[in-house]
Amino acid sequence: MKHGAGGKWYLNARHYSEEIAAKYNLREFLLEQYKNFEQIPVRRVAGVSPAGLGYKLRIPIIGRLIKRTAERLLASNRAPKNPFRPEGHIGQVVPLEDAIAILEHCAAEPIIQKNCMCRYMSRGEKEACCINFGVMSEIIDRLPRFIPEKEKYHLSRREAIDRFKEHNRKGYIGTIWFGPFPYINNLCSCATPECAGIRPRLDFGIHSIYKAEYVAVLDSRCCSGCMECVAACQFGAIQPEPRDGGVRIIPYRCFGCGVCRHVCSTQALSLLPRDEIPALRGSY
Amino acid sequence: MGLICRRTKIRIDYSLCGDSVDPRSCRRCLSVCAPAVFQLHQSFGVEEANVFDPQSWRITPLWPSLCNRCLKCVEACPNGAIHVSG
Repeated sequence: MKHGAGGKWYLNARHYSEEIAAKYNLREFLLEQYKNFEQIPVRRVAGVSPAGLGYKLRIPIIGRLIKRTAERLLASNRAPKNPFRPEGHIGQVVPLEDAIAILEHCAAEPIIQKNCMCRYMSRGEKEACCINFGVMSEIIDRLPRFIPEKEKYHLSRREAIDRFKEHNRKGYIGTIWFGPFPYINNLCSCATPECAGIRPRLDFGIHSIYKAEYVAVLDSRCCSGCMECVAACQFGAIQPEPRDGGVRIIPYRCFGCGVCRHVCSTQALSLLPRDEIPALRGSY
Repeated sequence: MGLICRRTKIRIDYSLCGDSVDPRSCRRCLSVCAPAVFQLHQSFGVEEANVFDPQSWRITPLWPSLCNRCLKCVEACPNGAIHVSG
């Protein structure tokens, strides 16, 4: 199954298997990558430094080339070679229900939670909200700076689900990541603008993360107009609707994370499969 | 490139933050910046044994194009190391 082609590729247990980890020699690859993790965001990729990327992308022709190179690298399907590049590191937004299914049925043991490095590097805060599986957990065992100090580190499936629920209710976006393709080892709870995976997509239009298989829909008869969801949506997809004092969803902006449902006291918001809406089918 | 668009230039004087002071001990600019323009990172060529060496960490204004010029970072920096212009 191909990522971004729809069809919930992340529910295929093969992507979590030891077989893939061994085939691509991921123990060595990921150890090298995570040893040097805090320098990867500032490293040059194909001779281009990410500093001031927004300005570089505005240069005619060159900007478009940079964008294409970055997208090709992120969505690479080839065997990963260079641990200093985000090769094949692409993700998709997942709502709570799918994340629970992943943790229940797919995720390889051992399961751990580690400090979110995006948030540490761009906000200076250590918060344990990344859930890792399989080979990744073994690697983090050897790198103490990722291990949360106060919270529990090794989690059972049930604890991981509870932890994820807690983050999701707080308003963090659930995301699942290939790292690198075709191995899945990360279930993150992301926030904008800190997340280094969502930022390229929202701020620079680089497809570093795909939208979920779902899209939020509103039952306007139930909406009380409290505007809680407007504040909760990290993608700016829900806007106040002055005509009826309620809200409206801008469908092409919605990533389908489902976080808005948690703040709605009247159950006016729900998720619909993306495929069922003809205009949004296949638009990830 | 200045001809194509107006650019915000953010400079950090590394002699004031980075060389003498460990940027990880302060991190004030990171927390005050609404669009999270700054990135705390490890400098290159550092072996794992030196990860906690204060000399090897830097704060870089990685996404100046997202800066909204509120200048809160300039106010927040206790060493006066940040300059914003443009």
